[in-house]
Amino acid sequence: MRRSVFIAILTVMAAMGLGGVVAEHKSFMASAREKPASAAEVKIDNFVFGPAAITVSVGTTVTWTNHDDIPHTVASTAKVFKSKVLDTDEKFSYTFTKAGEYPYFCSIHPKMTGKVVVQ
Amino acid sequence: MNPFDIKAALLAKHAQHVVLIHFPIGLFIAGVVFDFLAQSTKRLALAEAAYYNLLGAAISAVPVVATGLLAWQFQLDGQKLKGILLMHLVLGCTSMILIWIAWGLHVRSRRRPQENLPVFRLGLETLAVAIVGLTGHLGGFLSGINGPS
Repeated sequence: MRRSVFIAILTVMAAMGLGGVVAEHKSFMASAREKPASAAEVKIDNFVFGPAAITVSVGTTVTWTNHDDIPHTVASTAKVFKSKVLDTDEKFSYTFTKAGEYPYFCSIHPKMTGKVVVQ
Repeated sequence: MNPFDIKAALLAKHAQHVVLIHFPIGLFIAGVVFDFLAQSTKRLALAEAAYYNLLGAAISAVPVVATGLLAWQFQLDGQKLKGILLMHLVLGCTSMILIWIAWGLHVRSRRRPQENLPVFRLGLETLAVAIVGLTGHLGGFLSGINGPS
């Protein structure tokens, strides 16, 4: 009798422990999912995208900021994204949801080019 | 890039406007200089030179404005402009109108030999040169001529 009670208590404790581990795991996974996507910045200065090439992971939001006195745009060569004309200190953001290479340029100054590599 | 690749040159984004703009600017300024010289020296050859330079400026201004408007519509999706881009657009269109008025005054005078060219045209041409210069300055600023090579 005492032995069976002991086994029952042990079983309940094991179940509670397992439940705790599962709950902790679920909580960890949920927090991992809720973790905000990473962000990256590209500066537009002196007619140059800096850095010219940037490598980010899927889900990353890249923000371009125009620090020039001249208006610029950020236009994907493959027409994936295109900003409006960015005056001084204006920003444009785009979230990359698919892996691949995204070359882009400035519509006003086509020799200004850059590339985002999404892995 | 091959500099003689016609296809590449024609498809170069926004490049045609920047290339063509030199023609009306040069021809118009030369035309105005010849007109001032013709006015002061009364030499017919200078007046003729002024007329043909203004004619060239008036004709070459059309594709310049057209390519500028096309660049606005296609490269910038025709979005509402502001700042330097808006000033460049307004001054560019004003320049073309003034160039055509200046040339028109010369055409009118040639069709009516009994009438002299109005003297006020010299003021109009001077104003037009100033506006063309300002438009070109803003265009150069926009094109990044002061940026890194």
